[in-house]
Amino acid sequence: MATDVQQRIEAYLSRLRGRLRGVNGEEVREIVEELRSHIMDKAAASGAVTAAGVDAALAALGSPEELASQYMTDNLLARAEVSRSPLQILKSLFRWASLSVAGFFVLLGSIVGYFFGVVLMLVAVAKLFHPRTAGLWTYRDSTGDLELSFRLGFGSVPGVGKDVLGWWIVPIGWLLGCALVMLTTHIAVWFVRQYRRSLVLP
Amino acid sequence: MYLAMKERDASGQETGDKWEIQLRKGCLELAILAALWDGKLYGLEILRRLESGSDLIVSEGTVYPLLSRLKALGLVRSEWVESDAGHPRKYYALTPAGKQRVREMAGMWARFSGSMSKLLAPLARGE
Repeated sequence: MATDVQQRIEAYLSRLRGRLRGVNGEEVREIVEELRSHIMDKAAASGAVTAAGVDAALAALGSPEELASQYMTDNLLARAEVSRSPLQILKSLFRWASLSVAGFFVLLGSIVGYFFGVVLMLVAVAKLFHPRTAGLWTYRDSTGDLELSFRLGFGSVPGVGKDVLGWWIVPIGWLLGCALVMLTTHIAVWFVRQYRRSLVLP
Repeated sequence: MYLAMKERDASGQETGDKWEIQLRKGCLELAILAALWDGKLYGLEILRRLESGSDLIVSEGTVYPLLSRLKALGLVRSEWVESDAGHPRKYYALTPAGKQRVREMAGMWARFSGSMSKLLAPLARGE
């Protein structure tokens, strides 16, 4: 095969490889090898591999950028949709955030949701080990404003301030924390689904 | 806002085309899984089967990412097989979950197209 034909294929594949950011190495190799094999088969369909044949095969695949974005969003968001694991969802949202502004805001919202969910659950557990200091406390700060604070129970018993919920923090923290994590997952998956639906594949 | 309006304008003008695109897009997954029913195929064979067996106009740039998605979902598995052409080819085959899924989808398709045909029957009789 002529070197310029070979070069054309390699240039296309390396542009694709460069765009498959965040996809793991093994997967990238699979994608590139499969497309190389496809281009060769397609270009050789009418006998010998010609420059025109290769160009036609590359044109039919579309631009490497477009192809890469289909692989990334398809793969990742599909996984986020079936997975109910917050870690998998955050991982997918990180990649989505790198592609679009909408993804960035969904990621931001999910981080906040998961953070408060986990804090609530942590406080509920901490109460069992530090009954006198952990919980939801209210204080008056120096300016006289009322402040709410979750305490995990490290440090001394606060002099001023009040443990608002007492032992109730244990069931309430667990229930609210779990509910918040589930709700965040639900909303994130909903956004992912809407986004996937809006991606019009040609 | 501007974008949203622009989209609405475009869809207003091309309602028919857009609908057809959505319809084809929605059927593509079922078509690919069905093409694998008789046994393993590689990407280009799947494309050719879709083109010859139906009037689905399939973009190559859509089928490969979709195959990768079906694999991620566990509906198909893949293996590399050496060929006479001098390079290996990636073959896809249905997993048990994929077989079950394609059966379910075919069932839904049959029910759906049956009820659509009933609804459309008056059109066939003419005015």
